[in-house]
Amino acid sequence: MAGTKRYDVVVLGGGVNGTGVARDCAMRGLSVLLLEKGDLASGASGASSGMIHGGIRYMLSDRAVTELACRDAGFIRRIAPHLVFRIPFLMPFASQREAATLAERASWYATEVYVGTYDLYQPLKGGKPSTRLSAEEMYALEPSLRPGLHGAVTLDEWGIDGQRLCLSNALSAEAHGAEVRTWTEATRIVREGGRAVGVGWRDVLGGEHGEARAGVIYNATGAWSPEWGRGNGVAVTMRPGKGVHLSLDRRFSNFGIICKAVDGRQMFLMPHEEESIIGTTDDDYYGDPDDLEATADEVAYLLEGVESVVPSIRRARVTRAWAGVRTTLYEYGPTEDALSREHELVDHAAEGAAGLYSLVGGKLASYRAQSEEVSDRFMQVLGRGLVPCRTHEEPLPGGDEVPDVQELAARHGVAAGAVARLVYRQGSLARDVLRLTEEDPRLKLVVCRDEGLIAAEVVWIARHEKVRRLQDLRRRCRLGLAGCGGLDCARLAAQLTAHELGWDAERLRAELHDLLEVSWRDRRPVLDGWQLAQEELLRAVHRGLGGL
Amino acid sequence: MAGAVAALAARESGERVVLARRAPGATGLSGGAISVAHDPAAIATTPWAARAGVVESARRIAATVPGHPYDVLRDRLDRLWNAVEFATGQLSGLLAPPTGRNRWLLTPFGRAHPVATCQESMVAGDLAEVRGVLAVVAPRGHLWWDAGLVASGAVRARPLGAPEVRVVPLDLFMWEDAALARPFDLARMLEAPGAAEQVGAMLRERLPRFAAAALFPPVLGLDPAARVAERVSAAAGVPVAEFLSDLPSVPGLRLQRALEARLAEAGVDVLVGDVHDATGPGAPARVGGREVAAASWVLASGRYVGGGIARRGALLEPVLGLPVLASEGAFAEADARLAARAPGALTVRDSRAAQPLLAAGLKVDPELHPLDAEGRVIHDRLFAAGAVVGGHDQASDGTGMGVAIFTGWLAGRAAARAVPA
Repeated sequence: MAGTKRYDVVVLGGGVNGTGVARDCAMRGLSVLLLEKGDLASGASGASSGMIHGGIRYMLSDRAVTELACRDAGFIRRIAPHLVFRIPFLMPFASQREAATLAERASWYATEVYVGTYDLYQPLKGGKPSTRLSAEEMYALEPSLRPGLHGAVTLDEWGIDGQRLCLSNALSAEAHGAEVRTWTEATRIVREGGRAVGVGWRDVLGGEHGEARAGVIYNATGAWSPEWGRGNGVAVTMRPGKGVHLSLDRRFSNFGIICKAVDGRQMFLMPHEEESIIGTTDDDYYGDPDDLEATADEVAYLLEGVESVVPSIRRARVTRAWAGVRTTLYEYGPTEDALSREHELVDHAAEGAAGLYSLVGGKLASYRAQSEEVSDRFMQVLGRGLVPCRTHEEPLPGGDEVPDVQELAARHGVAAGAVARLVYRQGSLARDVLRLTEEDPRLKLVVCRDEGLIAAEVVWIARHEKVRRLQDLRRRCRLGLAGCGGLDCARLAAQLTAHELGWDAERLRAELHDLLEVSWRDRRPVLDGWQLAQEELLRAVHRGLGGL
Repeated sequence: MAGAVAALAARESGERVVLARRAPGATGLSGGAISVAHDPAAIATTPWAARAGVVESARRIAATVPGHPYDVLRDRLDRLWNAVEFATGQLSGLLAPPTGRNRWLLTPFGRAHPVATCQESMVAGDLAEVRGVLAVVAPRGHLWWDAGLVASGAVRARPLGAPEVRVVPLDLFMWEDAALARPFDLARMLEAPGAAEQVGAMLRERLPRFAAAALFPPVLGLDPAARVAERVSAAAGVPVAEFLSDLPSVPGLRLQRALEARLAEAGVDVLVGDVHDATGPGAPARVGGREVAAASWVLASGRYVGGGIARRGALLEPVLGLPVLASEGAFAEADARLAARAPGALTVRDSRAAQPLLAAGLKVDPELHPLDAEGRVIHDRLFAAGAVVGGHDQASDGTGMGVAIFTGWLAGRAAARAVPA
């Protein structure tokens, strides 16, 4: 038992809201402990669409959400310029007939006006204004679209690696004095006289346990909140919604494409980092968030929706299906899509747990503003006076500068393609990563050709990025997620990580098996076409030869 | 492998044989050794010496895994050994003669893996035969392999009959650019005159006491004629072997090349290209633009890697459109609905469990005729061999090459017999 320690704030949950608040509070001088029962970003933050979009969908119902999202997207670009990339979208005008009806033309005009209104918010996030494209212009830009469309409007959005965003916030929080413990669960609330005064915790890997006391306990466990609350005598109500995405083995289209699903819902196909993503479903979810898997009907629904405008999607190689659970504010009646993306901080004082707060709702794009609002409240509760928020000014680790890729590649003799990906993930820290190859040139070895991952980055990640399990590398550098499914990279990355973390051969094999097992669960619902040949090879190597 | 063995077996019967193929198949991607069967009755603590031999192991699999090709062929398993000897005989420069028991070879993942036979360059690494200390070489110039991990497979298998192991770091692959080379390039580097001898001399200096053999990464030359293992061994004064390879696989490529050379030598006509307009034996088909007519056909097009079975929304056999009916586990009985089931319904969450989707293929009778959904022979001069036959997870159940060789040999001979006089 590690004994009892005192903090100002204990944060539960290592998603974007938990790490965002940990960073903000630590930067304002509070002592902070963050507990995450799995790895950082292993819930909804890591399974989001990977966009800091302005929320054009919410403009009709929640214009405040749109404005907040756009403003905050601008700030995120400022503090993490390396992690953010432009995704231009096309919203094609489709008609079921050859000649569009008057009603259809009217609705396209309405769309144009609607997107035009969104343009008013674009300057906040540094997005480009929309353009109306003729059919000819549209097909020149995106030949994969089906014939017979009547042009499109464009829409500018930002993509981001949500998993590295969480990591960056956690690392920044630590740099400001916070303590971040992953694979550590909060076992119970400690109550004294109507107050929640602390939590018990247990390291799920090492078994170490202890107690943390704090003036404020912040429950940012997302979809795990209701169950955690029930176990601790407080109620957290929400409408959890399951969202499924599919990944393709390559960038399938030049632009993001907005499509309509069979039930009229909006969905998309978009290039994202080195792959393309199809998303998303939104369905009420009453299951266990630890037991989330995409189903055959969700996969079919997503592919059918994209097929309506990009017929060649049926020949694409789907590499995996992944799912997360959104937490939206509770309302009885509305359909999932109509639910507000607003957020709310729930105070549990009336349930005899003063000092305990839970976050419900919110979105990735606004995480920083949400964290600021929550931290303001905590400063007030703790009576710590006015210390202004600086999370929109101080860059996240590596975000102070984006180094020149060609120059770094030439200086270190590493392929520019790999350096580009390294700079994307690490920003200015890429210089430090490459310095490792000066001492040991073997570290220039390419571990994953799909992701442009070199051995030096794996070593860097193992040393500096809070890696406790091999599967954490899925979220640090997408290990085993690309087309190869770990065929090329898993063993080598495991060897490098084991060397850094002092794992013996048995632990290495156990970690490798665990990584392959979680990756298998993503691929299982989508095994088709050439992905099956890849699966056969993977199985021959890992099961057949490796006995894993 | 199945196609090559079938072609060679039919050729031996004196027939004219055409081998039509799209591309080299899964053999070149293998670890480079031949697994046929290991004892399903053995538990983890059963010493190797107490385990069943290769053929008896196949019989036990036939008795315990319904629908496995060894089960379908259970009354013919007395010929399994003839098939294995035929195949190893055809590749005699490369493969060591099989002994009837399994050899235990280490893999890059730190596991002892049972094989019925292996390449000559691997024999000295048979854990069941090393009498003394096995030195596992750790090349200091390259990160691809972890000698400690490799050696751990022998440490764990000590109670089963494995020798004592010692990791020996060597200044190997220290020359410029070797650190970033892929395994094929490293193998080529060791073929150079003097290179293998230099490695052997280095090893001699560092050999632990009582060293009975030394184990290297599987890059001891791409061309067997360069005799890299022998040269290293002569210079080091100790038998030298490679461990098995994952991908990319130098030994796998050696095996594929040896097959190609043997096919050419035996006078098998190899045609490369996609197969079009195939309807079955007797009628002509087009292969890479050429028209081919044959009295008997052996379909040995592999599973998903080979392209013999595919899934495009549903499971199918692309060359002749035969029904995909066979699998394992809950789908061991011929099932016409198998092909249309969703991937999630044909797999289970635990990756170590049997996965019917990865064991799917054609259903055959004991003469290796593909069967239709009603269990009828589709054509009496059409045979199937290797991974295109379903009912076994050939990639991982340790019988893949054995099934390829056995069914290839049987089908090749049967196809030759079926040719009208």
